[in-house]
Amino acid sequence: MSAAAAIAAPAPVSDTRRSGLALVVLLIAPIALVNALGFLVPVLNLARMSFYEVEPTGAMREVYTLATWLTVFQDTFYAELILNSITVSLGITLLTLVCSYPIALYLHRSSGTWRTILLVLVISPLLTSAVVRTYGWIAILSDSGLVNNALSAIGIAPLRLMFNKTGVVIGLTEILMPYMILALLAGFGRLDPRIEEAASTLGAPPFTIFRRIILPLTLPGIALGCLLCFVLAVSSFITPKLLGGGRVFLLATEIYDQAIVTLNWPLAATLSILVLVIFGGALVLYTRALRAIM
Amino acid sequence: MDERPVSLALKLMALTMFVFLLAPLIVVVPISFSGDSYMMFPPSSWSLKWYPAIFTDGKMTSAFWTSLLLAFVVTVLSLLIGLPAAYALVRLKPRGAEAMSALFTAPLLLPTIVLGLAILIVFSRYGLLATFQGLVAAHLVVTLPYAIRVLATALATLPIPIEEAAATLGASPFTVFRRITLPMMKSGLIGTTALCFLVSFDEVVLSLFMTGPRISTLPVAMYHHVEQQADPLVASLSVLLVILTLLVVLVVDRTSGLAKTFVK
Amino acid sequence: MTDRITAAAAGQAGEGFLSLKGLTKRYGGFAAVDNLDLEVPKGELVAFLGPSGCGKTTSLRMIAGLVPATSGRIVVGGQDLTEVPTHRRDMGLVFQSYALFPHMSVARNVAFGLEMRKVGKDEIARRVKEAIALVHLSGKEEHRPGQLSGGQQQRVALARALVVRPSILLLDEPLSNLDAKLRDEMRNEIRDIQKRLGITAIFVTHDQVEALTMCDKVVVMNQGRLEQVGTPVDLYETPRTAFVAGFVGRSNRLKATARDGVAEFAGESFAAQAGLSGPVEIMVRPHRVALSAAGADVTAGDHRVSGIVARTIFAGDILQYDVDVAGQIVSVELATRGGETVLQPGAAVSLSWRRQDVFVYGAAA
Repeated sequence: MSAAAAIAAPAPVSDTRRSGLALVVLLIAPIALVNALGFLVPVLNLARMSFYEVEPTGAMREVYTLATWLTVFQDTFYAELILNSITVSLGITLLTLVCSYPIALYLHRSSGTWRTILLVLVISPLLTSAVVRTYGWIAILSDSGLVNNALSAIGIAPLRLMFNKTGVVIGLTEILMPYMILALLAGFGRLDPRIEEAASTLGAPPFTIFRRIILPLTLPGIALGCLLCFVLAVSSFITPKLLGGGRVFLLATEIYDQAIVTLNWPLAATLSILVLVIFGGALVLYTRALRAIM
Repeated sequence: MDERPVSLALKLMALTMFVFLLAPLIVVVPISFSGDSYMMFPPSSWSLKWYPAIFTDGKMTSAFWTSLLLAFVVTVLSLLIGLPAAYALVRLKPRGAEAMSALFTAPLLLPTIVLGLAILIVFSRYGLLATFQGLVAAHLVVTLPYAIRVLATALATLPIPIEEAAATLGASPFTVFRRITLPMMKSGLIGTTALCFLVSFDEVVLSLFMTGPRISTLPVAMYHHVEQQADPLVASLSVLLVILTLLVVLVVDRTSGLAKTFVK
Repeated sequence: MTDRITAAAAGQAGEGFLSLKGLTKRYGGFAAVDNLDLEVPKGELVAFLGPSGCGKTTSLRMIAGLVPATSGRIVVGGQDLTEVPTHRRDMGLVFQSYALFPHMSVARNVAFGLEMRKVGKDEIARRVKEAIALVHLSGKEEHRPGQLSGGQQQRVALARALVVRPSILLLDEPLSNLDAKLRDEMRNEIRDIQKRLGITAIFVTHDQVEALTMCDKVVVMNQGRLEQVGTPVDLYETPRTAFVAGFVGRSNRLKATARDGVAEFAGESFAAQAGLSGPVEIMVRPHRVALSAAGADVTAGDHRVSGIVARTIFAGDILQYDVDVAGQIVSVELATRGGETVLQPGAAVSLSWRRQDVFVYGAAA
């Protein structure tokens, strides 16, 4: 550690900056490589793939054509598929909001160890595989499951709760609840108990306080949670596949079938891009809504 | 405590919704002790046979070891790749640092079904499908954004004067990083490790695109199993997985605070 | 390395041990430190004094190498350190926030700098023990910083910086996070230790009391520029600029107009800089003003003005009158002895003070 040695070759400022840049490049290169090879290139390639030609035999040729896009727009099956995906996802989002709001509000008002326990209970499902949770729903909803056995015990005819939209909606609602709860909690930061107290002293009954004070203040959190859940619902695939049993057609399940079963990659790519377009639309609506709320 | 009393109505609603939220996780516990050979609730008889059954099912055990090794490799690589990148972006602040971190976390914004398809198409060209390397690469695409986000936050909240103090005492930049920065971001490192491990271990959608008859991960094997027959085997496996997850969550909560790690 | 620098310094008597030559730090167009020249002799404790944002901390950080200088040189004991990275500068820095390593014990904190210098194990143990004893923390070696009080943490920071025998000890507002009583205690302690070790030290502070009571010399800075360097007595008795007169000690600042080097206020003439014309500020310290009831016989004082008491403040040891003189307030501080009559607002008084207690500065445009 000799200062003299360092002085012997005083580094001009530009050199230090250049060596700093070299260091940055060195440190960032690995993640940039993963990002490029695992994200940028595949996604750009996906967009290109949607314009490839598919021969009647199913083989794919690297010839550009609009055929796949035209099919998707002309075949009413796909129009229904898209509409179905959007409406089912909207329904799930709404249900998730209704189910999550009480939990989030309760969590917001609790504190200490109790709050930590509840938070663990909310986050644990999030960290548990969707396969496990969907399996749990099969145990509850199937013909020989919890609900139907309970119904038959009291002499009510069994209900069809699985292999249809009902099962998919119930399962996805529960699976998305943790996301909604966390988003709502993040948005509840603006909720100051003193504001509610102020409203109370001004003569507002509890439900009026909820409607006039709490709800408006928590709207940004609601908007964020809804965006998140809608986006996740549109792209979710494990739960619709297992609880829908191949009888519920959604964009995500169709993408998987086309990619793995039918091996029509251009079609799968086209549908993927449609999912991204729906995402974009949801994001635009979200920013509009947020601007209207604030 | 200056807490306001929570109204009974809210308590009841929250309780109901908690039951709904936890129902699928709770229900697998009794089923795992079922004596039936197919799934039925409540089970008609009880037994412990489905726990040993996991270990005699060759597909499940090999998938389990693949998943464990995969999660381990992915976690280690995520730390090795994510930490230098987070350090460069937060501390060296190169031009365009914000754009870069947006790009590096962007894979999280993409639905995994789309990402899975995109990766499938590109990886198929290089013979990476149904290989361990291919699975590692695909998982890294989704674990690295988590890693860089948690690590960057941990780095950004460290007090810089402490590192400066070490430098004035004669520690070179690398020594400062090794002796001061790294130990001080311990909780961030633990959080990252837990998160990357769980994300990789639980990942299904990407893996579904990447696996084949030659290689499978536990969630994928379970998915295929449930698709064909929903017998109590998956229940006993699920119970073990939930316990594993709870353990990880508890360790994270003890060492670095749960809320800090998972709630942004 | 310390020895080498000491030897080099000895050969350069007359010049400072630490010299800053045209030291400048610019952020874009803003000069945080503007062309700072300074010579600090070996063994002196020098304060950098000024309001927040005056550039004192930036100067300190440039000396430590934590902020690169835009231009200028930093020379210690004849060696140019301007381009040397922090970890090879051999300086000790005590931070305002203490900046102790939270994951290490007190002993490990203090040992850190010695480990970096590859000092032998036995010697480390011995010197750490000495350093901890020096700051009166023996017995706390195995505590973590989080288990210590603010004052104790400050002592650890001091021991950690001193144990490596740095060429220069830098202190960045080291007392500002302590309560008043502890601050007095630490002030004396730092001064004693610095004198005993004969170490050259720079002490950054915004507190003029700290600067005046502790330091051999005080460097007053304002808006990135050096206003005045001098002993505490110099600064107090002969402030060279209106800023120094205002910042060091309390002053009455009276607005007046000067013509050809003579300022007029309340019918009195005050000598200003030769040839100075235009608006000026006349400064006089409150406790250098004598006060007597109007019409009474006044003996001392070269300048004499009369006014009306506007406010009376009794603070126990001091009796302060704010006196309206020709539309401006002149504060007068009198040490109480007991038994004096306290004048009430409205009383007519005459004020006087000596010529050497008055300073006249051209007012900033």
